[in-house]
Amino acid sequence: MTAVTAVTDHTSGQEPTESRGTGASRERSVADSARRGGSSSTDTDTGTHTRAWAASPTRKARHDDSAPPAGEKRARRSRAGRRTSAETGTQGGTRGTTRTGTTKKAPDRHHARGKNAENGENSGSGDAEGRAWDDGLIARRAGDAPDSAESRDGNATHARVELFDQHGQDAYGDGTPQNTTYDPVLRARLDALRELVGLSRTRLDGRTLAEAGRVLDQAAARRGLSDRHTVVAIAGATGSGKSTLFNALAGVAISDTGVRRPTTAAPIACSWTDGAAALLDRLAIPGRLRRRPLQHTSQGAGLDGLVLVDLPDHDSAAVEHREHVDRILTLVDAVIWVVDPEKYADAVLHERYLRPMAGHAEVSFVVLNQTDRLPGDAADQVLDDLRRLLDDDGIALGEHGEPGATVLSLSALTGDGVAELREVLRQFVAERGAAARRVSADLDAAAARLRPVYAAGRRVGLSERAREEFSDRLADAVGAAAAGQAAERAWRRNAGKACGTPWLRLWRWYEDRRFPLLRAKPAPAPPADEEATARQRVEQAVRTVGDEAAAGLPAPWAQSVKEAAARGAHGLPEALDELALTAASPARRPPRPGWWPLAVLGQASMTLLQIVGGVWLLGQVIGVFPPNLGSPVLLMIAGIVGGPGVEWACRMAARGPARRYGIEAERKLREAAAACGRAQVLDPVAAELLRYREVREQYVRVTGAVGAGPVTMGSLGAVGSARQPGSGGSGGGREADAHGRVTELSTTGR
Amino acid sequence: MVTLDVRPQLLEALSALRDRVASARFPLPLTGAPRARANRDELLAQLDDYLVPRLRQPEAPLLAVIGGSTGAGKSTLVNSLVGRQVSEAGVLRPTTRTPVLVCNPEDHHWFAGLRVLPELTRVWMPDHPELREKPARPGQRVGRDEPRRGAGPGERVLRIETAATLPRGLALLDAPDIDSLVIGNRELAAELMCAADVWVMVTTAARYADAVPWHLLRTAKEYDATLVSVLDRVPHQVLADVSRQYGALLTKAGLGEVPRFTIPELPESAGGGGLLPATAVAPLRAWLTHRAQDPAACAQAMSRTAAGLLSSLDSRMPELAGAVSAQYAAALRLTAAVDDAYTREHARVRGRLQAGGVLAGSALSRWRSYPLDCSAGELLDAIVDSLAALLLCSVSAAGQRIDEQWSREPAAASRALAEREADREGAEHRIGLEARRWRRVLEEYVEEEARGQENPPDPEAVTALLATALLGGRRARTAGETLAERIGAHGALKLRDRGGRLLTECVEKVLRAERDRRLAPLDALDIQPESQAELIAALSVLKKER
Repeated sequence: MTAVTAVTDHTSGQEPTESRGTGASRERSVADSARRGGSSSTDTDTGTHTRAWAASPTRKARHDDSAPPAGEKRARRSRAGRRTSAETGTQGGTRGTTRTGTTKKAPDRHHARGKNAENGENSGSGDAEGRAWDDGLIARRAGDAPDSAESRDGNATHARVELFDQHGQDAYGDGTPQNTTYDPVLRARLDALRELVGLSRTRLDGRTLAEAGRVLDQAAARRGLSDRHTVVAIAGATGSGKSTLFNALAGVAISDTGVRRPTTAAPIACSWTDGAAALLDRLAIPGRLRRRPLQHTSQGAGLDGLVLVDLPDHDSAAVEHREHVDRILTLVDAVIWVVDPEKYADAVLHERYLRPMAGHAEVSFVVLNQTDRLPGDAADQVLDDLRRLLDDDGIALGEHGEPGATVLSLSALTGDGVAELREVLRQFVAERGAAARRVSADLDAAAARLRPVYAAGRRVGLSERAREEFSDRLADAVGAAAAGQAAERAWRRNAGKACGTPWLRLWRWYEDRRFPLLRAKPAPAPPADEEATARQRVEQAVRTVGDEAAAGLPAPWAQSVKEAAARGAHGLPEALDELALTAASPARRPPRPGWWPLAVLGQASMTLLQIVGGVWLLGQVIGVFPPNLGSPVLLMIAGIVGGPGVEWACRMAARGPARRYGIEAERKLREAAAACGRAQVLDPVAAELLRYREVREQYVRVTGAVGAGPVTMGSLGAVGSARQPGSGGSGGGREADAHGRVTELSTTGR
Repeated sequence: MVTLDVRPQLLEALSALRDRVASARFPLPLTGAPRARANRDELLAQLDDYLVPRLRQPEAPLLAVIGGSTGAGKSTLVNSLVGRQVSEAGVLRPTTRTPVLVCNPEDHHWFAGLRVLPELTRVWMPDHPELREKPARPGQRVGRDEPRRGAGPGERVLRIETAATLPRGLALLDAPDIDSLVIGNRELAAELMCAADVWVMVTTAARYADAVPWHLLRTAKEYDATLVSVLDRVPHQVLADVSRQYGALLTKAGLGEVPRFTIPELPESAGGGGLLPATAVAPLRAWLTHRAQDPAACAQAMSRTAAGLLSSLDSRMPELAGAVSAQYAAALRLTAAVDDAYTREHARVRGRLQAGGVLAGSALSRWRSYPLDCSAGELLDAIVDSLAALLLCSVSAAGQRIDEQWSREPAAASRALAEREADREGAEHRIGLEARRWRRVLEEYVEEEARGQENPPDPEAVTALLATALLGGRRARTAGETLAERIGAHGALKLRDRGGRLLTECVEKVLRAERDRRLAPLDALDIQPESQAELIAALSVLKKER
């Protein structure tokens, strides 16, 4: 069948590798399927699916496909050319049958697709809605509604609908639509969002980003389409008079109205100006459902550029209607919500549609229909109540010239108030800004939804204090303080040993010999493979600093910061072991200062004095020397007092250098450990934080808060600047290095 | 009046079942939990408000609850059935916020008490003199709970009106909208529907295809309740057409035998305040009156709803039990994650202790400089400090592992579990305390051991050597040797033995205490495996008695 050709062709235009081969083989396959009747052939099946995928970019998101509309257009053109030849033969027969056969089946295709779309949305965002609508005896059963029969042969007929799609397009004429242009701010925001999605793809799961991808796709798709047209959908509950209003605006009975509920099953479009075919293709409205308003009447004038879409209801038991509505509402530029006095407070309308779309107030109209059913001033009362409800929903109302939703009351049946709506619509369409505003509102919504994964709850970054604490913990882990103290004491001990009185040394030696047990032997030299670093302390230090760096970050980023810290900790204890061996080898003897020989000399002279005095005295006693007590006693006393005196003076003098020596030893170890920790842990963490900051700035750009950049820079904390004062020289280089790493990451992320 | 065949055993089994249902808890935020909670409340409402009172007192008046979407004209219908303005009708939605119960004055005592809908505070309008003039008659059960005139804010109220025009044995309840924008209204409407003998479903020409009323109809079918369907506000010109289509839809949904009444749209139905002419509601009124006054019809209406509810228990109780067991399974998974993390950490700590991991860093520096440049006290301090650091590290590693595991469990999002105070300092303090206690006991052991010896060595030095020998693993071999030299081989062995046991105890105690702390909020939720079995058991007892 011809439709199959069109479909396959389209596929080939979009994805050459997947096409069914050259033109000849395609023709053959067409012929085959025509013979088979096309009722359930696989060709048709796959073709339809691909078509569905290609025609309206679904949220399965080809973010990187920069110009899907262009490809689409190309495909369409080639398809159009081919069709004319293939069509002629089969057209007559097919047309007759499909008119009758597919009218009812047509929605099924949209059904299937809409379902996919809805699933995607539900997984991302539908939780809140689902909960809001899951609280009552009756409402809870909303999910139990039996699915409408999704017949498989329905798929086959989709392809046939395609034929009429083309017809409609021809009838409309494919003018030369001017592509929609977005203003620079919006463009910048879209670019920022694209960048943001690229930057965060490695950190966030696809579900979180799917919504953003969808917004990008739709913005791109809409951008490729006409800006002379404004697509406005009429949505509302069943029986609210959507179709009646549609007809009233078109000035001709296009859409069936009736008492049967639900009346309208598939969306119907009405375009006031030519060239809207591509737009309607995007909405997947088949050609047979594309109409024109009654021309040459005063009523139809002034609405140039308007494309009105009459939607099915969103609240009837027919589930596929709701799926139509949900699908098309994401694609149109503006929406007219039609409510009636009976249903204007329905929970379905407010909770499922108006509240989530509160950000779209500028492209929304809320119309209270059927005022003819209300007596007297009741219409005003109801309108006020409706305004109150909308206000509760968080929808800005466009009163007093402020931007927001327009609320009107009218009666489509009597025509009361329709002119007013027409005038409002005329102005709205003439502005030609609806598409951009819609995209902007979508962008706002996507940004708001992404807020939890990008916005930090508080100041983010590693404080100077946290860095110092980390260094302290590492120093503790290598035992820097204890080692320094030990070095200081060893120095003093050596000084004491060197400058002590000989008698004291003698006594010590004697003591050692007498009680060898009391003096434990010093620990033997440690084996080379010893784990001198306290593993537990290193682990704890890394965990603490990771937690502190991650505090306040959104969960995915916090996770990546912690992971960066944990990765850095991998070889850290071993590195510190190494360092403890080299930087602070305890076996190395303390240096001998220059004044020690002097002290030894002094000590020796004191001992000499004692001996001289003693000998002198002894000589006097035995009569060798003349008795003169004064001088030898004085000499002896001088020696006896002077010896400890010199020792004491030495100890006092040694205190300062010993202290310096100990501090120096401690500092060396501490700094070495800190440098090691910085290189292995703090820098990766800072790089990760930088990366987050970059993403965060991008996010701020997406939200469109102009001039907020520096503020957030500040609020993100001193990620890169907080450096140890001691590392000033290498800090810059490291920072640059971190920058380099970040950009490298981001380019690969993109 | 009619009686249902009710045995006391059945009532007993039912009230046991009710208690089990009431005690079912779903504290963990699993996917099915909100639904299970709502189902539990709904079941409880049906048992309390309908089944138990109905089985206890089968002679009580028939309660017909008028339910439907907002703007369907429920209040107007009730007013028209009663013949005067009892419930406010209006154009603003939602109109009815307070449910109104209308009954014959003779039947008033049935509803003034707390027989049905005990959670709703009774109020009545002061402008009905008949009630004020007629205080509690003998035999009336109002005495213990005299209804109040007004209700405080946030209190849910039920207004009781009496009208002599209603036949005896019939009460009408005008419920709020089942799909109201006000969530409280929705819940109340559902609860009121649960209390009904006869469900009167009101829909309109504009709404008969709406999803929400159909959910309600399906619910009614599921419970096999006595159901009446009213198609209200149908414009005259399309009356036959719409009515036929609605009938077709009902038949398609398997509700073909449901009595269906069609009421045309009249000027009165839109304006509010007006009453529909008696002829418009006559068939419905006649049907209801017939149910109320014909014993057989009444019994049939009652027993159908009651039996339907009883048999619906067969599927609803297992569902509830399933949700309870899902809760228990989730709690078990959470506990298992905690246990697993602490078991792993315990093993790791033991490994580190054996490898001498405590004697590292500061402690190692001290040990190297001992005894020349370091006192025994300093060595001991460093070792105890290092032990505390090891324990703290393992505890926080366990905490991190648990956080990771729990982040994959939806049940762990519970506020009770998430509100864990950041007690790293607290844990540090507790662990430090334990480590110091270990040191003190070790010192006591050493003093005990040294007391018997002549020429007792310095206890602090011995303690330091002992601690080093215990915690230093292989690298502290010399400490063990020195210890043996100081205090004798036998004494050293004994000390090391006791100290080792003490150390094991200390480590276990710390880890167990931290694990218990972590599990405390979960334990506080008190999720027991028995409640599932009890629910099923109560159901099977009920089945036997039926």
